[in-house]
Amino acid sequence: MRMFFVLSRLAWRYLWRNHRRTIVMLSAIAVGTWAMIFMTALTRGMVDQMIVDGISVIPGHVQIHDPEYLDDPSVNNRVAFSDTEIAARFSDAGFTAWASRVRVPAVVTSERESRGVTLLGIDPAAEKSFSFVDYDNVDGRFLEGPDDKGIVLGAKLAETLETRVGKRVVLMSQDPDNEIADRGFRVVGLFHAEMEATEESYTFVGKHTAQNMLRIGDTVTEVVFLGDDYRDVEPVYNKVVGLVDDSVRVSRWTEVDTYLGTMMGMMDGFMLIWVIVIFLALSFGLVNTLVMAVFERIREIGLMLALGMKPSSILGQILIESMMLLAVGLVIGDFLAWATIKPLESGIDISVVAKGMEMFGAASVLYPNLDINDVILSNVVVMILGFFASLSPAWRASRYEPVEAITKV
Amino acid sequence: MNHRFLFPLLLLAMPVVSAGEERDATQIVRDAVNHWRGLTSYTEMTMVIHRPDWERSMTMQAWTKGDDRSLVRVMEPKKDRGNGTLTDDNSMWTFSPKINRVIKVPSSMMGQSWMGSDFSNKDISRADDIIDQYAHTILATSEEDGITVYRIESIPNEDAAVVWGSEVLTIRDDHVVLEHAFFDQDGELVKTLKSLEIAEMGGRTIAKRQRMVKTDVPDEWTEIAVNDVQYELDLKDSVFTLSNLRNPRD
Repeated sequence: MRMFFVLSRLAWRYLWRNHRRTIVMLSAIAVGTWAMIFMTALTRGMVDQMIVDGISVIPGHVQIHDPEYLDDPSVNNRVAFSDTEIAARFSDAGFTAWASRVRVPAVVTSERESRGVTLLGIDPAAEKSFSFVDYDNVDGRFLEGPDDKGIVLGAKLAETLETRVGKRVVLMSQDPDNEIADRGFRVVGLFHAEMEATEESYTFVGKHTAQNMLRIGDTVTEVVFLGDDYRDVEPVYNKVVGLVDDSVRVSRWTEVDTYLGTMMGMMDGFMLIWVIVIFLALSFGLVNTLVMAVFERIREIGLMLALGMKPSSILGQILIESMMLLAVGLVIGDFLAWATIKPLESGIDISVVAKGMEMFGAASVLYPNLDINDVILSNVVVMILGFFASLSPAWRASRYEPVEAITKV
Repeated sequence: MNHRFLFPLLLLAMPVVSAGEERDATQIVRDAVNHWRGLTSYTEMTMVIHRPDWERSMTMQAWTKGDDRSLVRVMEPKKDRGNGTLTDDNSMWTFSPKINRVIKVPSSMMGQSWMGSDFSNKDISRADDIIDQYAHTILATSEEDGITVYRIESIPNEDAAVVWGSEVLTIRDDHVVLEHAFFDQDGELVKTLKSLEIAEMGGRTIAKRQRMVKTDVPDEWTEIAVNDVQYELDLKDSVFTLSNLRNPRD
């Protein structure tokens, strides 16, 4: 142990004997670390946003459908039990939030245009807490209840249809007998969403109004449940599975939207690869610095060996030097990253490239997400890989023949 | 869209009725509709689809029975011969001999153009909603060539599957529709169906030539001219079946 302190002191002093080189190396490590953490925070922020947005549109962390519904979202594949039964089963089961809804493809037509949309027949009160639509930020008004006769469109869709609040549109879909089910609706509100695609593809009507129009009585196509955290839906999933039989299919959101589900798993892998790539670039600098430090000190090392220092101590000293360099660099880098991310957490406006971002489902405001696990991961990876990278110069230093080393010019 | 009764009008035109007493607007429209309802008809007609850079014409045969059954089959041009459309109530099927398939027109396609014309599938398949899904009022009454002409404004009910703000029908007292104008919900004229030529055919006074024009593209129109028409035929129900749509039997 004493040996360690002695070596540490020697290493620390040596680092600052050639402070210019140390500072250059420190800044390289610091910038590298900063880049790792900052980029990861940006990417994670983006992915999180995509997932949160995506889930809010799906929405519901756990959902119940007819077994066929996910492959064929038609009005024929409705949940096997009626809405009344659904309410009886779930309303007292203690879920954070849940709702049953009618969700079918439909066509909305104005005087001038028609567009394919997803029709959502909802009970607005049940969904208020988790809907992607902010009920208070709607032009006009949102639906007032399941019997509301109005329709709420996305602002972008209304623009495409050349319609607006107060005008009527016709919604057309199919009933279970493949007959046309249609009805006129007055536009009562226009909602706003992060993404234009969302505004273009969803329309809200009252659940009972939708059931009447589609002639499906008291049935729905899906029941959705909200948990506390989208990353951990198992508790809700197990609870729901316990309450239904196998006439319906219970799915986690990762199964409903496999793209988003995969995205989340990929993020962690991507993070590790990114850290390693940056480290590889960094390691050349690190190894080079250490090799130089060893070469410069051949005589000194020879002398110490001649004075009776064990080769293992030489090895230890060089390793400690490298670890100290990395540790100081990491601390500075972490701090830099924290200092740059914190002020940006309220969001970075990237609306200049919004169209491109939207293509893969990301919003135009980026919220960097500094995850402590990412910071730990990058620090640990750098320390471990740094240790291995410095092994070679340290090993070489410890293998010098004292006589040769002392006499080396 | 809402010329639910429009196409049958085109196909059948109006029988002559002795000018009645003062009637209210709904009655005028109902009479107009009822006069082709319950009857059968066979029509040969030519449809001209005009665009600024091209024009094509098709000759078609059409059979109607009752208020909502119709069958239309293309005779000319040769490459389209046999293409057919069958409607029954609100459903619609098309048949194309080239692919030898009967296709039920899905609800998503009901708003699309029928055979490339300015009529939509919905215009063709729906025929009887104008009476009960609208509120009718007489805007004006005038006299033309000794016949009373009514201008009737029809406003769709709140939940009617109709996008128009209002429709204005100009109907002669002898039940010939002179004009059918479609207004959007801001009161702007979107399209108009005009009778260009009125003649006596098949024993009745009918609109021989009618043209549908969209207001903002006046040089694009579809015109339907009746070449021959017969009324009160004895048409079997088997005419209006999918098998007859596929395999014509005369």
